[in-house]
Amino acid sequence: MNRKEITKPFQVEIESKQKQKIEVKMGREVSESCVDSLLTEMVSTYCNRFYANKPELAARRIEAIGYQVGHQLSERYTMERPRFSDHLEAIKFICKDFWSELFKKQIDNLKTNHRGTFVLQDNGFRWLSRISLDPSLENAESQDPSASTESKAAQATSMHLYFPCGIIRGALSNLGIPCAVSADISNLPACSFVVRIKA
Amino acid sequence: MIVCVAVVGHQNNPLYIQSFTEADDALKLHHIVHCSLDVVDERVNNPKKSGPTLNETFLGLLYPTENYKVYGYLTNTKVKFIIVATDLDVRDADVRNVDIALLRCNNASCLSPFFRRFHAAYVDAVSNPFHVPGKKITSTTFAERVSTIVKSFGLSSAG
Repeated sequence: MNRKEITKPFQVEIESKQKQKIEVKMGREVSESCVDSLLTEMVSTYCNRFYANKPELAARRIEAIGYQVGHQLSERYTMERPRFSDHLEAIKFICKDFWSELFKKQIDNLKTNHRGTFVLQDNGFRWLSRISLDPSLENAESQDPSASTESKAAQATSMHLYFPCGIIRGALSNLGIPCAVSADISNLPACSFVVRIKA
Repeated sequence: MIVCVAVVGHQNNPLYIQSFTEADDALKLHHIVHCSLDVVDERVNNPKKSGPTLNETFLGLLYPTENYKVYGYLTNTKVKFIIVATDLDVRDADVRNVDIALLRCNNASCLSPFFRRFHAAYVDAVSNPFHVPGKKITSTTFAERVSTIVKSFGLSSAG
Protein backbone atom coordinates (compact mmCIF):
# COMPACT_ATOMS: atom_id res chain seq x y z
CA MET A 1 0.00 0.00 0.00
CA ASN A 2 2.66 2.39 1.08
CA ARG A 3 4.89 1.47 -1.83
CA LYS A 4 2.14 2.16 -4.31
CA GLU A 5 1.73 5.62 -2.91
CA ILE A 6 5.38 6.38 -3.45
CA THR A 7 5.75 5.02 -6.96
CA LYS A 8 2.68 6.74 -8.36
CA PRO A 9 4.11 10.26 -8.70
CA PHE A 10 7.12 8.90 -10.54
CA GLN A 11 4.90 7.20 -13.01
CA VAL A 12 3.11 10.46 -13.61
CA GLU A 13 6.42 12.13 -14.22
CA ILE A 14 7.51 9.52 -16.77
CA GLU A 15 4.19 9.79 -18.54
CA SER A 16 4.50 13.52 -18.84
CA LYS A 17 8.04 13.17 -20.18
CA GLN A 18 6.82 10.77 -22.85
CA LYS A 19 4.14 13.25 -23.79
CA GLN A 20 6.76 15.95 -24.06
CA LYS A 21 8.84 13.80 -26.37
CA ILE A 22 5.89 13.26 -28.65
CA GLU A 23 5.21 16.98 -28.67
CA VAL A 24 8.82 17.65 -29.62
CA LYS A 25 8.64 15.11 -32.42
CA MET A 26 5.48 16.67 -33.77
CA GLY A 27 7.01 20.14 -33.88
CA ARG A 28 5.57 21.85 -36.91
CA GLU A 29 7.77 22.38 -39.91
CA VAL A 30 7.59 25.10 -42.50
CA SER A 31 8.79 24.91 -46.06
CA GLU A 32 11.75 27.20 -46.56
CA SER A 33 10.90 28.17 -50.10
CA CYS A 34 7.35 29.05 -49.03
CA VAL A 35 8.70 31.45 -46.42
CA ASP A 36 11.07 32.93 -49.01
CA SER A 37 8.25 33.46 -51.48
CA LEU A 38 5.96 34.86 -48.82
CA LEU A 39 8.57 37.38 -47.74
CA THR A 40 9.31 38.46 -51.31
CA GLU A 41 5.63 38.75 -52.10
CA MET A 42 4.90 40.71 -48.93
CA VAL A 43 7.70 43.17 -49.60
CA SER A 44 6.70 43.70 -53.22
CA THR A 45 3.02 44.07 -52.35
CA TYR A 46 3.71 46.73 -49.72
CA CYS A 47 6.33 48.54 -51.81
CA ASN A 48 4.68 48.46 -55.22
CA ARG A 49 0.97 48.20 -54.55
CA PHE A 50 -0.07 49.61 -51.16
CA TYR A 51 2.50 52.33 -50.63
CA ALA A 52 4.14 52.67 -54.06
CA ASN A 53 5.09 56.30 -53.51
CA LYS A 54 5.88 56.18 -49.82
CA PRO A 55 8.73 53.72 -49.16
CA GLU A 56 9.09 54.90 -45.53
CA LEU A 57 5.49 54.00 -44.84
CA ALA A 58 5.86 50.61 -46.51
CA ALA A 59 8.99 49.96 -44.46
CA ARG A 60 7.16 50.80 -41.26
CA ARG A 61 4.27 48.48 -42.09
CA ILE A 62 6.61 45.58 -42.89
CA GLU A 63 8.55 46.23 -39.71
CA ALA A 64 5.29 46.18 -37.74
CA ILE A 65 4.40 42.75 -39.13
CA GLY A 66 7.84 41.50 -38.13
CA TYR A 67 7.35 42.98 -34.67
CA GLN A 68 4.18 40.98 -34.12
CA VAL A 69 5.82 37.78 -35.36
CA GLY A 70 8.85 38.29 -33.10
CA HIS A 71 6.60 39.12 -30.18
CA GLN A 72 4.74 35.83 -30.53
CA LEU A 73 7.78 33.69 -31.32
CA SER A 74 9.74 34.91 -28.31
CA GLU A 75 6.94 33.77 -26.03
CA ARG A 76 7.06 30.30 -27.56
CA TYR A 77 10.83 29.84 -27.70
CA THR A 78 11.53 31.04 -24.15
CA MET A 79 9.02 28.60 -22.72
CA GLU A 80 11.43 26.01 -21.30
CA ARG A 81 14.18 28.26 -20.00
CA PRO A 82 14.85 30.21 -16.81
CA ARG A 83 14.38 33.97 -16.84
CA PHE A 84 17.16 36.18 -18.18
CA SER A 85 19.02 38.21 -15.60
CA ASP A 86 20.44 40.90 -17.89
CA HIS A 87 20.35 42.31 -21.42
CA LEU A 88 23.40 40.39 -22.64
CA GLU A 89 21.80 37.09 -21.76
CA ALA A 90 18.69 37.97 -23.72
CA ILE A 91 20.76 39.05 -26.72
CA LYS A 92 22.72 35.81 -26.51
CA PHE A 93 19.45 33.92 -26.55
CA ILE A 94 18.49 35.79 -29.74
CA CYS A 95 21.88 34.94 -31.29
CA LYS A 96 21.84 31.27 -30.40
CA ASP A 97 18.51 29.61 -29.76
CA PHE A 98 16.15 32.06 -31.40
CA TRP A 99 18.24 32.29 -34.56
CA SER A 100 18.62 28.49 -34.72
CA GLU A 101 14.87 28.08 -34.50
CA LEU A 102 14.33 30.54 -37.33
CA PHE A 103 17.28 29.90 -39.64
CA LYS A 104 18.84 26.61 -38.41
CA LYS A 105 22.09 28.46 -37.73
CA GLN A 106 23.44 30.80 -35.10
CA ILE A 107 24.55 34.39 -35.47
CA ASP A 108 28.20 34.29 -36.58
CA ASN A 109 29.54 37.28 -34.71
CA LEU A 110 28.29 39.41 -31.84
CA LYS A 111 29.91 42.72 -30.96
CA THR A 112 28.96 45.14 -28.25
CA ASN A 113 30.22 48.44 -26.88
CA HIS A 114 28.86 47.50 -23.41
CA ARG A 115 26.74 50.64 -23.52
CA GLY A 116 23.60 49.23 -25.01
CA THR A 117 24.60 48.75 -28.65
CA PHE A 118 24.94 45.26 -30.07
CA VAL A 119 25.93 44.26 -33.58
CA LEU A 120 24.71 40.84 -34.68
CA GLN A 121 26.46 39.66 -37.81
CA ASP A 122 25.21 36.79 -39.95
CA ASN A 123 27.65 35.80 -42.69
CA GLY A 124 25.07 33.94 -44.73
CA PHE A 125 21.68 35.39 -43.99
CA ARG A 126 19.15 32.94 -45.35
CA TRP A 127 16.60 35.47 -46.49
CA LEU A 128 19.20 37.31 -48.57
CA SER A 129 20.93 34.25 -50.05
CA ARG A 130 18.51 34.11 -53.01
CA ILE A 131 18.63 37.80 -53.76
CA SER A 132 20.52 38.97 -56.82
CA LEU A 133 20.49 42.19 -58.70
CA ASP A 134 17.88 42.48 -61.42
CA PRO A 135 19.62 41.76 -64.81
CA SER A 136 17.81 44.65 -66.48
CA LEU A 137 19.15 46.92 -63.79
CA GLU A 138 22.64 45.58 -64.28
CA ASN A 139 22.41 46.19 -68.05
CA ALA A 140 21.27 49.69 -67.40
CA GLU A 141 24.19 50.11 -65.10
CA SER A 142 26.70 49.09 -67.78
CA GLN A 143 25.22 51.54 -70.23
CA ASP A 144 24.75 54.32 -67.80
CA PRO A 145 27.23 53.93 -64.94
CA SER A 146 25.34 56.10 -62.49
CA ALA A 147 25.04 55.35 -58.82
CA SER A 148 21.26 55.61 -58.87
CA THR A 149 20.55 52.06 -60.14
CA GLU A 150 22.90 50.59 -57.60
CA SER A 151 21.22 52.49 -54.82
CA LYS A 152 17.86 51.33 -56.16
CA ALA A 153 18.97 47.72 -55.88
CA ALA A 154 20.33 48.35 -52.41
CA GLN A 155 17.04 49.94 -51.44
CA ALA A 156 15.10 46.94 -52.72
CA THR A 157 17.36 44.63 -50.71
CA SER A 158 17.07 46.72 -47.58
CA MET A 159 13.26 46.53 -47.89
CA HIS A 160 13.62 42.79 -47.29
CA LEU A 161 15.47 43.48 -44.06
CA TYR A 162 12.73 45.43 -42.30
CA PHE A 163 10.91 42.19 -41.57
CA PRO A 164 13.80 40.46 -39.70
CA CYS A 165 14.54 43.78 -37.96
CA GLY A 166 10.98 43.83 -36.74
CA ILE A 167 11.25 40.22 -35.56
CA ILE A 168 14.32 41.05 -33.43
CA ARG A 169 12.72 44.18 -32.02
CA GLY A 170 9.48 42.34 -31.24
CA ALA A 171 11.28 39.49 -29.51
CA LEU A 172 13.46 41.78 -27.40
CA SER A 173 10.67 44.13 -26.39
CA ASN A 174 8.55 41.17 -25.33
CA LEU A 175 11.47 40.14 -23.12
CA GLY A 176 11.33 43.58 -21.52
CA ILE A 177 14.07 45.28 -23.57
CA PRO A 178 12.81 48.24 -25.60
CA CYS A 179 15.19 48.87 -28.49
CA ALA A 180 15.65 50.08 -32.04
CA VAL A 181 16.97 47.67 -34.67
CA SER A 182 18.49 48.60 -38.02
CA ALA A 183 20.17 46.44 -40.64
CA ASP A 184 23.31 46.96 -42.60
CA ILE A 185 24.28 45.13 -45.80
CA SER A 186 27.96 45.07 -46.47
CA ASN A 187 28.38 42.34 -49.10
CA LEU A 188 25.31 40.47 -50.08
CA PRO A 189 24.69 37.24 -48.25
CA ALA A 190 26.29 38.72 -45.15
CA CYS A 191 24.38 41.26 -43.16
CA SER A 192 24.49 42.74 -39.70
CA PHE A 193 21.75 43.91 -37.40
CA VAL A 194 22.44 46.80 -35.09
CA VAL A 195 20.45 46.72 -31.85
CA ARG A 196 20.35 49.91 -29.80
CA ILE A 197 18.77 49.46 -26.43
CA LYS A 198 16.74 52.41 -25.26
CA ALA A 199 17.76 53.50 -21.80
CA MET B 1 -7.91 20.70 -6.20
CA ILE B 2 -7.47 23.89 -8.18
CA VAL B 3 -10.17 26.46 -7.56
CA CYS B 4 -8.89 29.40 -9.55
CA VAL B 5 -6.37 30.18 -12.31
CA ALA B 6 -5.25 33.59 -13.48
CA VAL B 7 -2.99 35.04 -16.15
CA VAL B 8 -1.58 38.46 -15.33
CA GLY B 9 0.32 40.64 -17.78
CA HIS B 10 3.65 42.36 -17.20
CA GLN B 11 2.00 45.55 -16.01
CA ASN B 12 -0.11 43.56 -13.56
CA ASN B 13 -3.07 43.82 -15.89
CA PRO B 14 -5.43 40.84 -15.74
CA LEU B 15 -5.42 38.85 -18.98
CA TYR B 16 -7.49 35.90 -17.92
CA ILE B 17 -9.08 34.84 -14.65
CA GLN B 18 -11.32 31.87 -14.10
CA SER B 19 -12.59 30.18 -10.99
CA PHE B 20 -13.67 26.58 -10.79
CA THR B 21 -16.01 26.52 -7.82
CA GLU B 22 -19.75 26.15 -7.59
CA ALA B 23 -20.02 28.60 -4.72
CA ASP B 24 -20.25 32.33 -5.40
CA ASP B 25 -16.80 33.22 -4.14
CA ALA B 26 -15.23 34.61 -7.31
CA LEU B 27 -14.57 37.96 -5.64
CA LYS B 28 -12.72 36.35 -2.75
CA LEU B 29 -10.55 34.33 -5.15
CA HIS B 30 -9.81 37.40 -7.23
CA HIS B 31 -8.73 39.13 -4.07
CA ILE B 32 -6.34 36.28 -3.24
CA VAL B 33 -4.87 36.44 -6.74
CA HIS B 34 -4.48 40.19 -6.40
CA CYS B 35 -2.62 39.84 -3.11
CA SER B 36 -0.28 37.24 -4.57
CA LEU B 37 1.02 39.72 -7.16
CA ASP B 38 2.92 41.55 -4.43
CA VAL B 39 4.51 38.29 -3.36
CA VAL B 40 5.62 37.62 -6.94
CA ASP B 41 7.21 41.09 -7.12
CA GLU B 42 8.94 40.46 -3.83
CA ARG B 43 10.32 37.12 -5.02
CA VAL B 44 11.62 38.58 -8.26
CA ASN B 45 13.22 41.66 -6.74
CA ASN B 46 14.90 39.85 -3.81
CA PRO B 47 16.06 36.60 -5.37
CA LYS B 48 18.53 35.76 -2.60
CA LYS B 49 16.14 33.37 -0.91
CA SER B 50 15.68 31.21 -4.00
CA GLY B 51 19.31 30.09 -4.05
CA PRO B 52 19.84 27.25 -6.54
CA THR B 53 16.48 27.82 -8.23
CA LEU B 54 17.53 31.30 -9.28
CA ASN B 55 15.42 32.70 -12.10
CA GLU B 56 13.39 29.51 -12.35
CA THR B 57 10.06 30.17 -14.05
CA PHE B 58 8.19 28.12 -11.45
CA LEU B 59 8.04 30.23 -8.31
CA GLY B 60 6.58 27.54 -6.08
CA LEU B 61 4.27 28.20 -3.17
CA LEU B 62 3.73 31.94 -2.87
CA TYR B 63 1.79 31.92 0.36
CA PRO B 64 -0.72 29.78 2.18
CA THR B 65 -3.99 31.18 3.47
CA GLU B 66 -6.36 29.43 5.82
CA ASN B 67 -8.15 27.47 3.14
CA TYR B 68 -6.03 27.92 0.05
CA LYS B 69 -2.51 27.69 -1.24
CA VAL B 70 -1.30 30.03 -3.93
CA TYR B 71 1.31 28.95 -6.47
CA GLY B 72 2.99 31.16 -9.03
CA TYR B 73 4.87 30.93 -12.32
CA LEU B 74 6.61 33.80 -14.07
CA THR B 75 7.51 33.55 -17.75
CA ASN B 76 10.45 35.19 -19.48
CA THR B 77 8.09 37.79 -20.88
CA LYS B 78 7.00 38.78 -17.35
CA VAL B 79 3.60 37.19 -17.63
CA LYS B 80 2.44 35.69 -14.35
CA PHE B 81 0.37 32.57 -13.93
CA ILE B 82 -1.30 32.27 -10.54
CA ILE B 83 -3.21 29.29 -9.32
CA VAL B 84 -5.21 29.00 -6.13
CA ALA B 85 -5.59 25.47 -4.82
CA THR B 86 -7.28 23.98 -1.80
CA ASP B 87 -4.93 21.97 0.35
CA LEU B 88 -7.33 19.08 0.60
CA ASP B 89 -4.66 16.74 -0.74
CA VAL B 90 -2.42 17.29 2.22
CA ARG B 91 -5.22 16.66 4.66
CA ASP B 92 -6.07 13.49 2.78
CA ALA B 93 -2.48 12.45 3.17
CA ASP B 94 -2.63 13.16 6.87
CA VAL B 95 -5.41 10.67 7.18
CA ARG B 96 -3.55 8.09 5.15
CA ASN B 97 -0.36 8.40 7.17
CA VAL B 98 1.90 9.19 4.23
CA ASP B 99 5.00 11.18 4.86
CA ILE B 100 3.87 14.74 4.40
CA ALA B 101 7.24 16.12 3.42
CA LEU B 102 7.45 13.66 0.55
CA LEU B 103 3.97 14.46 -0.60
CA ARG B 104 4.52 18.17 -0.43
CA CYS B 105 7.54 17.99 -2.68
CA ASN B 106 5.61 15.77 -5.05
CA ASN B 107 2.81 18.29 -5.02
CA ALA B 108 5.24 20.90 -6.27
CA SER B 109 6.71 18.58 -8.89
CA CYS B 110 3.18 17.73 -10.00
CA LEU B 111 2.50 21.41 -10.43
CA SER B 112 5.53 22.05 -12.58
CA PRO B 113 4.20 20.05 -15.57
CA PHE B 114 0.80 21.57 -14.91
CA PHE B 115 2.24 25.02 -15.37
CA ARG B 116 4.13 23.88 -18.46
CA ARG B 117 0.93 22.67 -20.08
CA PHE B 118 -0.78 25.86 -19.00
CA HIS B 119 2.04 27.90 -20.51
CA ALA B 120 1.77 25.98 -23.79
CA ALA B 121 -1.94 26.74 -23.91
CA TYR B 122 -1.22 30.40 -23.23
CA VAL B 123 1.42 30.56 -25.99
CA ASP B 124 -0.99 29.06 -28.48
CA ALA B 125 -3.66 31.55 -27.44
CA VAL B 126 -1.45 34.62 -27.87
CA SER B 127 -0.07 33.33 -31.16
CA ASN B 128 -3.53 33.82 -32.62
CA PRO B 129 -3.14 36.71 -35.06
CA PHE B 130 -6.47 38.12 -33.91
CA HIS B 131 -5.33 38.37 -30.32
CA VAL B 132 -4.20 41.87 -29.37
CA PRO B 133 -1.14 41.70 -27.09
CA GLY B 134 -1.86 43.11 -23.64
CA LYS B 135 -5.62 42.63 -23.99
CA LYS B 136 -7.74 40.03 -22.23
CA ILE B 137 -7.73 36.54 -23.69
CA THR B 138 -11.22 35.90 -25.00
CA SER B 139 -10.52 32.69 -26.91
CA THR B 140 -13.00 29.94 -26.05
CA THR B 141 -10.49 27.31 -27.16
CA PHE B 142 -8.09 28.59 -24.52
CA ALA B 143 -10.82 28.50 -21.88
CA GLU B 144 -11.66 24.90 -22.81
CA ARG B 145 -8.03 23.84 -22.78
CA VAL B 146 -7.48 25.44 -19.38
CA SER B 147 -10.48 23.73 -17.86
CA THR B 148 -9.33 20.39 -19.30
CA ILE B 149 -5.87 20.88 -17.80
CA VAL B 150 -7.33 21.88 -14.44
CA LYS B 151 -9.67 18.89 -14.41
CA SER B 152 -6.95 16.42 -15.37
CA PHE B 153 -4.75 17.83 -12.62
CA GLY B 154 -7.53 17.17 -10.13
CA LEU B 155 -7.67 13.57 -11.30
CA SER B 156 -3.94 12.84 -11.22
CA SER B 157 -3.43 14.27 -7.76
CA ALA B 158 -6.57 12.74 -6.26
CA GLY B 159 -5.50 9.16 -7.03
